[in-house]
Amino acid sequence: MEEKKAKKQEIIETEIQMGTVHPAALEPYRVRFFVEDEIIKDAEITIGVNHRGIERIMEGLPVEKANMLTEKICGICSNAHTWNSVRTAEKGLGVEVPDRAVYIRVIVGELERLHSHLLYLGHGCETLAHETFSMRVFFIRETIMELLGMIGGNRVQYGCSIIGGVRPRCELDDNRIRRILDGMDLVEKNVADFADRFVHDSIVLSRITGTGYIPQEQALKLAVTGPTLRATGVKRDLRTDMYEYDNFDYDIITQDTCDVKAQLLMRVFEIFEAIKIIRQAIRDLPEGKITDRSWEMVDTGLIESYIEVPRGTLYHSYAIEDGRVRHSIIRTPSMSNIGAMQYACIDNHITDGQLCIVQCDPCFTCSDRAIEVYDTNNNKLDKSILKSNIH
Amino acid sequence: MAYEISLISILEVILTLIIALFIGVLIPGIERKYVQARIQQRIGPPVTSPGLWASIKFLFKENIKPNSPAPGLYKAMPILCFIAVLAVFLALMPENYQFMAFASLIAIVGFLKVEEIAYVLMGSLSKSVMSINLRFPDHAKGAERQGLLVSSIEDISSNRSLRMIIFGSFPLYLALFIPAALSKSIYLADIVAYQQANGPFLFTLAGIIGTVVFFIGYMILLNEYPFSYIKAKSDVIEGPYMELASKYRSFVYLTRGFLIFTLGLMYCVLFLGVSPELFSLKFIVCIIISLLLPVIMAIVSAFSPIFTNRQLYPTILVTSALGALAMVIALF
Repeated sequence: MEEKKAKKQEIIETEIQMGTVHPAALEPYRVRFFVEDEIIKDAEITIGVNHRGIERIMEGLPVEKANMLTEKICGICSNAHTWNSVRTAEKGLGVEVPDRAVYIRVIVGELERLHSHLLYLGHGCETLAHETFSMRVFFIRETIMELLGMIGGNRVQYGCSIIGGVRPRCELDDNRIRRILDGMDLVEKNVADFADRFVHDSIVLSRITGTGYIPQEQALKLAVTGPTLRATGVKRDLRTDMYEYDNFDYDIITQDTCDVKAQLLMRVFEIFEAIKIIRQAIRDLPEGKITDRSWEMVDTGLIESYIEVPRGTLYHSYAIEDGRVRHSIIRTPSMSNIGAMQYACIDNHITDGQLCIVQCDPCFTCSDRAIEVYDTNNNKLDKSILKSNIH
Repeated sequence: MAYEISLISILEVILTLIIALFIGVLIPGIERKYVQARIQQRIGPPVTSPGLWASIKFLFKENIKPNSPAPGLYKAMPILCFIAVLAVFLALMPENYQFMAFASLIAIVGFLKVEEIAYVLMGSLSKSVMSINLRFPDHAKGAERQGLLVSSIEDISSNRSLRMIIFGSFPLYLALFIPAALSKSIYLADIVAYQQANGPFLFTLAGIIGTVVFFIGYMILLNEYPFSYIKAKSDVIEGPYMELASKYRSFVYLTRGFLIFTLGLMYCVLFLGVSPELFSLKFIVCIIISLLLPVIMAIVSAFSPIFTNRQLYPTILVTSALGALAMVIALF
């Protein structure tokens, strides 16, 4: 397969810089487009302006507190971070999570997937400059936000998972279950209507068909993850390896066209699968307690946990020493997808540049992990310092 | 022809201008509140906010110094645009039809071209801070490309404005000359007189096609979605206007509303044969048409994503072909 990346020695006419502040980008990052007559020949995304050092802050914190802190990493995947951080501790401490708590975690996780995918669709439509579609999607998303607020008490940071189960406030009684089911019916109908309208809009299709092409081989080479990978035809979803999803029947959606259209439709179809999982979880919700408090804190070695979050594979790892977190490392899916974002921009018009980035569902603020350390004397990256400071 | 300028006719023109400016600043609010917000099932802003209060608010804001080689010239461009639109407006006034060279299609096209060229100049005279952030190489990526010519997003906008002058505004100018072909005259006085005698051009085949072409050209000239190529939010943000602040931005808002109204009047004169005569039913018709066109434009905008070259070129090509067809029909 011939790669579409411009060669180093190729003369690029002009460089266009966008960011760190740009209205089409929801987060601060810089993208340098190297263009010839408004066609992007190469792109370079640089993140790092929103580094908060959360892993560094986690060092030495009690595990419960550190788990709560992980929720602040991302405003979209807040539950996913807490879930995976708690899961890491549970794995190390050998905590048995009650079935009812597992089901509630799955429900909240899938609701989060719904709101993340709807946010993606809304942002995608906004980047296409289709304000009406964008507003419509955000209107649909509101139902999910209200449900999440009902379960966790907040619309963005619901603080559902704790070591050994879920918080008591996240217990699902009959009233809440009825509201969730009604909400799923409404969202399913609204998303189906929206999707029908979307795929029959010829102007929108002309903007998204063939734009931001990422071939499957390239996606695999760049270690792309999550729905962005599945939209290139690779049937890979980490939920199939997660014990929490063992009892659920759902399809892994893939698309073949590898462009923005495939990415957008991918999320639409995944919304229906998430609704299917939520309905199954509510139908089969086991009785019993939602928290197991019969665990004891012990020292552990390095524990690792991978889960499938709305944007791909999320990795958390730390060791526990005297009940405190040691050597925490978190890798968010967007970190793996940055290469694909850069690749997708190539050979597209500048107006489509941000769309090509947005199609990979970036969450750069969550991905700000590394600190680059320069030796100012010879202007080179000091890898020895970098290794010792990476967080 | 003897020039007859009476005090009453001057007052009428001034009064018409005040009404046009007032309605012009309300048009963006009508578009946002009563069209787009209704389509999008939301409340929308107060109708006076986007045009009227925004213009007044900006008058009292602190100004910024644009990063431009000729800041004075850059800031003068909105005023130049306003003068160009004012000239078009005055040319459309029946009181001025006696000045044949001024009240002719050639003069109108010239004034509109001045308005278009102002965007090219504004874009090339501005280099905002939005394009010059984080000037350091990314060593983590290998810092492969350094020392390249860095172009600002206003430069792109300026290039696009130039392209729009060359071919983008072609449909509108074709549409403007369809009435000339039908009436065999480029003078507004003749075009209006011909229609008053023979009925509006709108009800002829060439007129119907011309109306469609005029409307698309109208949207292109106003840089409205989906043709807002020169100020696309997804790349060039505000384009040429980026560094216009304070009273200069206020002028931009004022000019835009005024241009929308003036183009509506132009349609009335050219395709309906209705000249904006104050204190007559004709003026009411002009106001209705001037409001109807932006309402239809807002509906089209609400249902369209922005066009890139892939959509823009074919659209302009087809529209221009339609315009040429209407012209041929009009001539024979």
